[in-house]
Amino acid sequence: MTDFRVPGRGRVDHDRPVKFRFDGETIHGLSGDTVASALLAQGRHLMGRSFKYHRPRGPVAAGSEEPNALIGTSRGRGRFEPNTRATVQEIFPGLKATSQNKYPSLKFDIGAVNDRAYMLFSAGFYYKTFMWPRSFWDRVYEPFIRAAAGLGVSPDKVDPDHYASRNLHTDVLVVGAGPAGLAAARTAAEAGLRVTLVDENAEVGGTLLSEPQAMIGGQAAWDWVAAELAALEALGVRVMTRTTAIGYYHQNMVGLCQKLTDHLETPNPDMPRERLWRVRASQVVLAQGALEKPLVFDGNDRPGVMLAGSAQTFLNRYGVRVGDRAVVVTSHDSAWYAAFDLADAGTRIAAIVDTRVEPRPDLMAEAAARRIKVLAGHTVSGTAGRLRVKSVRVNRVSGGTVGFGRQIDCDCLLMSGGWTPSLHLFSHTKGSLKWNETQNTFLPDHVTEACQIAGAGRGLWGIGAALNDGAAMGAAAARALGREAEVGTTDVGNDRPGTGTSHTELPTDRSAARARAFVDFQNDVTAKDLRLAVREGMRSIEHVKRYTTNGMATDQGKMSNINGLNIAADALGKPAPQVGLTTFRPPYTPTTFGAFAGYHRGTHFEATRKTPIDGWAEENGAVFEPVSQWRRAWYFPRKGESMDDAVLRECRTTRESVGMFDASTLGKIEVVGPDAVEFMNRMYTNPWTKLQPGRARYGLLLGDDGFIRDDGVIGRLSDDRFHVTTTTGGAARVLNMMEDYLQTEWPDLKVWLTSTTEQWATIALNGPNARKLLEPFVEGLDISPEAFPHMAVGECTVAGIPARLFRVSFTGELGFEVNIPARHGRALWETLFAAGQAFDICTYGTETMHVLRAEKGYIIVGQDTDGTVTPQDAGIGWAIGKAKPDFVGKRALQRPDLVAEGRKQLVGLLTADGATRLEEGAQIVLDPKQPVPMKMVGHVTSSYRSVAAGRPIALALLEGGHARMGETVHIPMPHGVVAATVTGTVFHDPEGARLKL
Amino acid sequence: MLLIHCPYCDETLPEAEFAYAGEAHVARPLDPSSTSDEEWRDFLFIRSNVKGDHFERWRHAHGCGRFFNAVRDTVSDRFLTTYKAGAPRPDLTALKDAAE
Amino acid sequence: MTVLPTNFVPEPLATSAAATVTLLAPTARFSLRVWPEDRARLSAALTLELPVTIGQRARGTAPDGTEALCVGPDEWILVAPDGAGPAIEAACGDAYCDAPHSLVALPDREVSVRIEGPKAAELLTLGCPRDLDALIAGQGRRTVFDGVSVILWRDAAQEFRLDVWRSFAPHVLALLETGCRELALD
Repeated sequence: MTDFRVPGRGRVDHDRPVKFRFDGETIHGLSGDTVASALLAQGRHLMGRSFKYHRPRGPVAAGSEEPNALIGTSRGRGRFEPNTRATVQEIFPGLKATSQNKYPSLKFDIGAVNDRAYMLFSAGFYYKTFMWPRSFWDRVYEPFIRAAAGLGVSPDKVDPDHYASRNLHTDVLVVGAGPAGLAAARTAAEAGLRVTLVDENAEVGGTLLSEPQAMIGGQAAWDWVAAELAALEALGVRVMTRTTAIGYYHQNMVGLCQKLTDHLETPNPDMPRERLWRVRASQVVLAQGALEKPLVFDGNDRPGVMLAGSAQTFLNRYGVRVGDRAVVVTSHDSAWYAAFDLADAGTRIAAIVDTRVEPRPDLMAEAAARRIKVLAGHTVSGTAGRLRVKSVRVNRVSGGTVGFGRQIDCDCLLMSGGWTPSLHLFSHTKGSLKWNETQNTFLPDHVTEACQIAGAGRGLWGIGAALNDGAAMGAAAARALGREAEVGTTDVGNDRPGTGTSHTELPTDRSAARARAFVDFQNDVTAKDLRLAVREGMRSIEHVKRYTTNGMATDQGKMSNINGLNIAADALGKPAPQVGLTTFRPPYTPTTFGAFAGYHRGTHFEATRKTPIDGWAEENGAVFEPVSQWRRAWYFPRKGESMDDAVLRECRTTRESVGMFDASTLGKIEVVGPDAVEFMNRMYTNPWTKLQPGRARYGLLLGDDGFIRDDGVIGRLSDDRFHVTTTTGGAARVLNMMEDYLQTEWPDLKVWLTSTTEQWATIALNGPNARKLLEPFVEGLDISPEAFPHMAVGECTVAGIPARLFRVSFTGELGFEVNIPARHGRALWETLFAAGQAFDICTYGTETMHVLRAEKGYIIVGQDTDGTVTPQDAGIGWAIGKAKPDFVGKRALQRPDLVAEGRKQLVGLLTADGATRLEEGAQIVLDPKQPVPMKMVGHVTSSYRSVAAGRPIALALLEGGHARMGETVHIPMPHGVVAATVTGTVFHDPEGARLKL
Repeated sequence: MLLIHCPYCDETLPEAEFAYAGEAHVARPLDPSSTSDEEWRDFLFIRSNVKGDHFERWRHAHGCGRFFNAVRDTVSDRFLTTYKAGAPRPDLTALKDAAE
Repeated sequence: MTVLPTNFVPEPLATSAAATVTLLAPTARFSLRVWPEDRARLSAALTLELPVTIGQRARGTAPDGTEALCVGPDEWILVAPDGAGPAIEAACGDAYCDAPHSLVALPDREVSVRIEGPKAAELLTLGCPRDLDALIAGQGRRTVFDGVSVILWRDAAQEFRLDVWRSFAPHVLALLETGCRELALD
């Protein structure tokens, strides 16, 4: 195999060889190579197969816009990534790369049969072919499409890497570190601003890395880049390479994805693989340059056919000649320079084919000096070669007539159809574009953000123009931020400015219908497909795009959009600006899910709130369940116990002796101020004026729509101070709602709200022995039944810890809730647990709490209510202070819909067989024999096995339920219909005698 | 992510500190018992849903905790202004002239 | 990511060349709410001038005096040495009749960490979307860190205190610990 490396050339380190593997074969590259440049250095262009036709493909570009050379990369176990651009992946020892879309091998691929059936696979193929017969869809078409679909292979292991994110505020963000970006960053930094400069490449310099011949202010281009970089760092500019600006969002927020380890052999395990930056910039300078456009002709996708500018990059940056014998076909001056550079490096230029009749005389002279044959006014009508281009068919065009074709042998074909400003990020901001007739492309027009566009991005061609425009735009950004900024002009020698013309398909003497002239390489969309789409009635460019999938590949149309537009416009007979571009959307290049997830995976996926007693529960074998952001002990199984066993035991122990429950997650709000009682009267349905300090009451909170929002026990600590409790999940919502009313409806009330949820650990003791257990620890408060009755509250010490003690019950048993400062929560819990051994105490979790309260018919807001349940519906109309002039929700309770007959009401259900436990969420019908779809009249909200009732019990919301007591309803289930009797909601101790112990 | 100016903190801060709180200037009737069913329905449910300048409420939830009002263009997502709760609706024409 | 225990013992949690994160011992802590017309009376009771600009701090005259941070138009966080709580409650209680207010003791609601070191500010950018350059030393703010409400005190250019509700602390501290390691590699 020939070596195409040019000794000493490029920015690769010729003294540092690097070995890696491609499709199992060891490849020798150099430090600084990409996979593509290393393979090209060995004369290998074939790097993959195309997605639809499985045509052999090689790199057509040298950067992140590459559509063809997609590879899988493996960096060790679990570290596999599909669809990486070979032109971007830097090589390192140990890298394993594989080609894609081939079976069994890259050189012989069975899927390439699609290519021979080319005429069948035209635009809209899926829509047309798989329509009929209908019955084929499930068994034939869909499995086939699914098997064939998708680029590359998905990773099948958990990603072992970790990812990071950071926020960054900067005065000026410069995107792109080519000549324009470097100059903009320097100018803005010299004006004293915080400047951030980012570039997706491994090093700064942009096009200067491919044009070492340029002399900038008397300095060679690469020396100038090094000096500029040092100057920027001295000025405190944050320079980030391998960092892609992936999206440009509102108010100058730009997302950056920084790749940190994909190029390293042995990364530090603490180093994240990628970091997502959320940058907020006062000014953004977009200096992203321009992308070269392919020419559209039959066989323009063969390995060896490449953009001329990219060939120049491979030569000057990587020291690789992309072939020994090149033909150049162009409609732009820039490709001539690529030809000259390659010729000077030893590649034979068989011909420069320029579609223009009269190329620039100085270029003609330079070509003549190198004895390069120039075919002006010519076209390319085809290529030949199976796995590599081996010849080009060239025809003269005169007066619109295409002459006879002749073959020119070659091993690479360098093409240039001109350049397209890279305006993807600008388009993310909905900045408008304007068609430029002379450059035949879109240029930025109306700017919506605080943003400057510099250099080739606004159609300025040449290093000098870009450099000076970058400085001007850096200064404009500085001035917009109120800084003085000096702008000088820099002289650039050996600059290569140029112009060109634009084409749709190149003219040909052959049938256009048979041409495989690709527009979107990655999605295998040809010019013929686009014209067919228009013929078949697609008029909008958005429809053409979706019908053909042009521009929908992972390169987002970076190379195909303008060619696609020109061809579609031509087919429609409309000027290009009238047809318009499709929308570019973030991200600019494919971005890993890991980068977006950042730190939020595994145990850090989201905040898991834990109570002060959580550690004890964990050590004692609790099974946990998530309740809003909290993790709560669900039940405490003993060895060998099932969940049912544990819950039945916990229920029995609590009802017979005493159980202890961690209620710390209950929301707590301290309501303080002279208007505290007035505020409580207005917020809650209940009357509060007559509640004495030292007493507590069940509080019910509605929305102004009359529906139940929350509930909880509320203690009055003094005239001006209430201790409000809320549901666990409702804490933040209730405080927000209270603040809303207080701040915006009743700002005259002198009362303030403070969340104390986390100030207190709350231990609930329930059961007939609760007082016996607690009493010895309590000082400063008489908790005898007479002095401290049900719904009393007082301050005292418990085991020497200052406490707020409530006598309250959510189980129907004698109950206390001890609130102590959170730091003491676990210590008191352990103290009470030890003392409780004398009473065979059990700890119980949320499941037993749910069962015990359901046996008493106490509702759980959000389980037995769903946001459409009124107090009357829930059977707790007694909690409404009817004499109060107003409270939140009072007016709505009079609305016709809320007093109508037949509303869903909370009832109890007992299954007729006395043994079946209903399923929560199951639907209820009145007549199980009615035809499907049946009329559903409600659903089961809570259902448990009950020790106290000796049978399963359930709560349900049932239409007109309160009037159906004793009736039988039916619950259809997959295994048969269950009959149940409608009852009241209290299944245990209906007189409440046990509360009064 | 938007930037929002909190009129109480007098700082322009990332949206992550704020929570949206619905349309602004929907005052709860002072005497709900004297409202008709239709008036109460309108207070509860009927919102303007404008395309363009929208008067809306935000809360500086991870900051000073205050609810305040804002005018945001629902097409461009631009804030024209923010102002304290209880302040009257600003004159949009004057604001836009000033912004030009 | 390491999940830290919930029994918060004052000790260094993480340290690297970039920053050190230290869990601080409990202090007396209150939320004080009072309307502007009654602020002066409370200032007198606390022997400090309650600042009126959100983010400003003031410290009482006594040694180890109470420190007040304005976090809302009528809201201050008071921090004082552990054990100073009863005196503050008594002083404010005496003023209640003349100047009604809300004083709620919260010594256990939050845990506090000190974050210091050459990259302390950068470490906070892992979770805080604010421009921390705008938070100058000697000020504080209520803000958000990794989705969680926190009080952030900047005591010096590279020295911060962060107060976070107890149950959220394992989440927040885990990220700070991760960040300490990560930033040392930058």
